[in-house]
Amino acid sequence: MDRVVPQAVPLGQMEVFQALQRLHMTVFSQSVSPCGKFLAAGNNYGQIAIFSLSAALSSEAKEESKKPVVTFQAHDGPVYSMVSTDRQLVSAGDGEVKAWLWAEILKKGSKELWRCQPPYRTSLEVPEINSLLLVPKENSLILAGGDCQLHTMDLETGAFTRALRGHTDYIHCLALRERSPEVLSGGEDGAVRLWDLRTAKEVQTIEVYKHEVRPCPSPILLALPQLLCIRNSLLPPSRSAPGPTTGAGSDAWQPTQTGWDPCLSGQVCGGGPALTLWHLRSSTPTTIFPMRAPQKHVTFYQDLILSAGQGPCVNQWQLSGELKAQVPGSSPGLLSLSLNQQPAAPECKVLTAAGNSCRVDVFTNLGYRAFSLSF
Amino acid sequence: MSSESSKKRKPKVIRSDGAPAEGKRNRSDTEQEGKYYSEEAEVDLRDPGRDYELYKYTCQELQRLMAEIQDLKSRGGKDMAVEIEERRIQSCVHFMTLKKLNRLAHIRLKKGRDQTHEAKQKVDAYHLQLQNLLYEVMHLQKEITKCLEFKSKHEEIDLVSLEEFYKEAPPVISKPEVTMGDPHQQTLARLDWELEQRKRLAEKYRESLSNKEKILKEIEVKKEYLSSLQPRLNSIMQASLPVQEYLFMPFDQAHKQYETARHLPPPLYVLFVQATAYGQACDKTLSVAIEGSVDEAKALFKPPEDSQDDESDSDAEEEQTTKRRRPTLGVQLDDKRKEMLKRHPLSVMLDLKCKDDSVLHLTFYYLMNLNIMTVKAKVTTATELITPISAGDLLSPDSVLSCLYPGDHGKKTPNPANQYQFDKVGILTLRDYVLDLGHPYLWVQKLGGLHFPKEQPQHTVIADHSLSASHMETTMKLLKTRVQSRLALHKQFASLEHGIVPVTSDCQYLFPAKVVSRLVKWVTIAHEDYMELHFTKDIVEAGLAEDTNLYYMALIERGTAKLQAAVVLNPGYSSIPPVFQLCLNWKGEKTNNNDDNIRAMESEVNVCYKELCGARPGYQLLTNQLQRLCVLLDVYLETESHDDSVEGPKEFPQEKMCLRLFRGPSRMKPFKYNHPQGFFSHR
Repeated sequence: MDRVVPQAVPLGQMEVFQALQRLHMTVFSQSVSPCGKFLAAGNNYGQIAIFSLSAALSSEAKEESKKPVVTFQAHDGPVYSMVSTDRQLVSAGDGEVKAWLWAEILKKGSKELWRCQPPYRTSLEVPEINSLLLVPKENSLILAGGDCQLHTMDLETGAFTRALRGHTDYIHCLALRERSPEVLSGGEDGAVRLWDLRTAKEVQTIEVYKHEVRPCPSPILLALPQLLCIRNSLLPPSRSAPGPTTGAGSDAWQPTQTGWDPCLSGQVCGGGPALTLWHLRSSTPTTIFPMRAPQKHVTFYQDLILSAGQGPCVNQWQLSGELKAQVPGSSPGLLSLSLNQQPAAPECKVLTAAGNSCRVDVFTNLGYRAFSLSF
Repeated sequence: MSSESSKKRKPKVIRSDGAPAEGKRNRSDTEQEGKYYSEEAEVDLRDPGRDYELYKYTCQELQRLMAEIQDLKSRGGKDMAVEIEERRIQSCVHFMTLKKLNRLAHIRLKKGRDQTHEAKQKVDAYHLQLQNLLYEVMHLQKEITKCLEFKSKHEEIDLVSLEEFYKEAPPVISKPEVTMGDPHQQTLARLDWELEQRKRLAEKYRESLSNKEKILKEIEVKKEYLSSLQPRLNSIMQASLPVQEYLFMPFDQAHKQYETARHLPPPLYVLFVQATAYGQACDKTLSVAIEGSVDEAKALFKPPEDSQDDESDSDAEEEQTTKRRRPTLGVQLDDKRKEMLKRHPLSVMLDLKCKDDSVLHLTFYYLMNLNIMTVKAKVTTATELITPISAGDLLSPDSVLSCLYPGDHGKKTPNPANQYQFDKVGILTLRDYVLDLGHPYLWVQKLGGLHFPKEQPQHTVIADHSLSASHMETTMKLLKTRVQSRLALHKQFASLEHGIVPVTSDCQYLFPAKVVSRLVKWVTIAHEDYMELHFTKDIVEAGLAEDTNLYYMALIERGTAKLQAAVVLNPGYSSIPPVFQLCLNWKGEKTNNNDDNIRAMESEVNVCYKELCGARPGYQLLTNQLQRLCVLLDVYLETESHDDSVEGPKEFPQEKMCLRLFRGPSRMKPFKYNHPQGFFSHR
């Protein structure tokens, strides 16, 4: 293996500490600004960095333009999840949701707009918030994480309206079926649950591990299906023509006409549920993708499924389960993918991927990594 | 007429007798004078005019006679003959007269000649006289001009001005009534005044001389007195030595040192003075001494070598040698190298005593030709240390002071000019010689007041940039910290090699009481080996694996799980933390590349090291990190999901109290230990 030994620069105490910090940085979450020109990335030290995509993508981009425009300390713990409304950036980490005004941030003022904490029952440890989900119709925000519940919060009043209980372990991710106000959640307990927001009831449960088809004869696979990850595709390719099947029961999924493509993916150490495509109505796995490494983020893009997880690659799958391409990134493991689809900035239409490094890889097309933004 | 002719005849006859004597004129003349009348005298008596008349008459008579004869002859006849005869006789008389006249004319001519000659001689004499007189005139004229041109010496004398003269000179000398009108007298008077004055000044000069003599004598006497004082003072000093010792006042010793210090080269002198000053003012544990031969140093100064000359000379020599003496080139270069790297014979020793009685000996040298300072370090401890194998480099003179300031590894010469000098003699880098010469650390140059421009613009501000004095305190503190941290490490390594992680009582609260994982190996590894390890790539790429660092490999075991930890120990420990890279061998190989939890464990020891430093100044950091690593391994193994398909109990039953096993998107394990409650939570 060729190792590039960088020019030895004398490092002082602060520099060493900073280098170590960067070395052990994990970027958990990303969010694109409403204008489409900026990307926010949150790391495990609670910092949020704002990168200017338009500057980095412009023809006269320098090394400096790949550095954050602004970095500010948002949370004490890691920033696990971020979403953007049309004015605000909402970030969540250890048990607290904070909102920031995009306009303020870009003016380098990082004063929080508001903060609130879901009503937790335990006091010993503050549960983390792993996922945020905006429900535009209700103008509400759904939070889910360490306390095994989904909390809905009214964005107007800031009050927590509902708590959806059912998961037996912490929740990793959320996905929205917009047509009918239904939310999918995937948790550490190996189950995907479909919730009806109107009744605040659990509609359906798929215990994914029970359907596990082991891609390899690893003996522990069935025993502990720990993680399910549901991701709503960020891009609704057929938003204008939603398919009829989407309103049906959970786990039903029809590849050809999906308005909402909840894609299930599983991860378990040493095996676990493989990345699987489920049909919601019949609750059966349609395609099991032949990928052994655990995948942590999945998204739909046109007729492809993009997934990333352990390993430095962004995987592109055909719906039939064929691996179309593996595009290497710069991080040893990826945790989050973000597609910038904002119509306001068509020139900044890129895929960004972040994970176990201080770098955010930018893919201008799906074929290769153009460059990396760096904390 | 006839009588006349007869008279003339007689002398004529006589003369014809004496005719043969006519050639010898003078004698015959004188003889004749005696005997006969003097014709010369006759000449004086006769008038030349009448002679001329006579001559004319005679010639006419002759002509007439000749004509008569011719006439007679042409007529012929007997009677004629008598007449002819007669006439012939008459002619003869006439001829006689002519002869006489001729003689007289001759005599007259001779006389005239004599007279002319005489007159001429007279004229000549007069001419000569005239010439003599003319010459005399000329000579006299010359003398006159000479006299006119004569310059008197007094004109060169700078006389006082006229007014001054009349004002100052006494009237006896100046005599105004005489001199006012007569410039000659005036000048004389002025000269007199001048002479008078000069006489007075000469007198004064003589007086001053004698005065000076007197003072010199006085000085001589005083000097003698002083020189006699020195030995007495010395003996007093000698006698006071025991008192000084008794009172702890090493004046004498210090004095001696200062004396020696005078021979130090400037940088060492600056260091000596500053270190002594610092030692006296701030830090009693610092002692300064000078080592080496003073005589050699003195000898060095006697022939004041011009280094530039030297260089140019050596240049020329070098060229020559390359041309002529190729075989000896190597030897010559060697000599030149030695010459270039020559140290000043004097060196400054600093002894820095730490709290635990260990001493850091620093010897500072000055390389004369390179104009840099080097330092050699040695650490001695109060008690004999058992040297663990892995601690070999900790106190070695080569590395103990490495990177005292970030990046200052002391392997490169800080003087940019040296590179050119090296090129000349074929030294690639100073690195090969540092073991011999000592290390030319930057801080050493600063302590000596030497300042060199940096190669790269410095982007970090290190301490204070003003030299020596302001640098001294920081450096001394750093030195002390360095030695103490190295000694602490030294002790810790001894127990680490025996598999014991020493945790001091004040750090116990950082760890749970029961730690099952054990350190089984602690070895030092080479920099190259570290670079070759497959799980250290990130550190190498981040530029944290410099070759000035020390590298170790720790192995922590619990049951079948083996955790390898590659450790980078920065020379700046403990202000700069050691960096760990992990590789777990258990159910496959796990590194930060394929296991987020391994990554989390690394960050737990590397990033969150501040809580592990323990009591200031944090010498417990390394051992605490290792102990935490053991704890982390316990947590990692105990929280690992159990494989149901394997028979029998779990290999690592969960003994640690955890609130939750996993958390967050990357499914972190609870690595943080909460002290009084004793449970583990997520960070």
